[in-house]
Amino acid sequence: MKRFYLIGFLLLMTFDTLAQISFKYAGTHALPVAASLAWVLRVFGQPWIYGAVVGYVGAFFTWMSLLKHAPIGPAFAASHLEVVSVMLLSVWLFNEHLNLARVLGAIAIIAGIICLGLAESREHPAEVEPEPAQA
Amino acid sequence: MTPATGSISTLVAGLWLFNIVLDTGGQLAFKAAAGDEEAGDGLARWKHMASRPWLWLGISCYVIEFLVWIAFLSLIPLSEGVLLGSINIVAIMVAGRFLFGEKLTRLRVAGILLVTLGVVIVGVGG
Repeated sequence: MKRFYLIGFLLLMTFDTLAQISFKYAGTHALPVAASLAWVLRVFGQPWIYGAVVGYVGAFFTWMSLLKHAPIGPAFAASHLEVVSVMLLSVWLFNEHLNLARVLGAIAIIAGIICLGLAESREHPAEVEPEPAQA
Repeated sequence: MTPATGSISTLVAGLWLFNIVLDTGGQLAFKAAAGDEEAGDGLARWKHMASRPWLWLGISCYVIEFLVWIAFLSLIPLSEGVLLGSINIVAIMVAGRFLFGEKLTRLRVAGILLVTLGVVIVGVGG
């Protein structure tokens, strides 16, 4: 069951990362933003949107399979560790700069996600693989 | 509709808030669909879920969120966008507390506060 979670969460993270990168490319190609059909057509008129669809649909089925077994908290928390992979890829692909606010914010957010995961593991010991010598 | 330059524009803030509502609504609907004890297994489980509104409500929220999120990300850097989007974790926990009676322990409150703090730092400092 532990391996099931690990593979499931990694798969979810990969699909989520693919989706976020594709969302960014698709949105950038469709600028300017407007609440109009023309904007929607611009979004769907270039290939990146289909990368986002693959990521989204893949993440959806992975997520639904995980939710059947895992409580919503840790599954949701684990799925959000994608912020790390997306941030690093943003620097490489989009030449973004990780300023102090983003780095500090990311550290606080990741610490918060870890707290939430730990809280769930303590509250649902039966649903998590027993770990020796851990409170 | 002016794109954000440096600070966060009203449009970006509005898209961010709308995304929170749609993401939380979608997640809770999926939880209601997937957590159904009578659903069974395999194909029967999917058929059962498809015959009830929760799955479709969740999918509807996600379809709209899909477009809202693309618009949001096209206006700000991706690294900033994904960090600001982390507030959805807090929204889902708080909603889970009220709708499914999920407990808010001290560790969970600490997690919620840390994520919120991180989002505030990114929101204020870019």
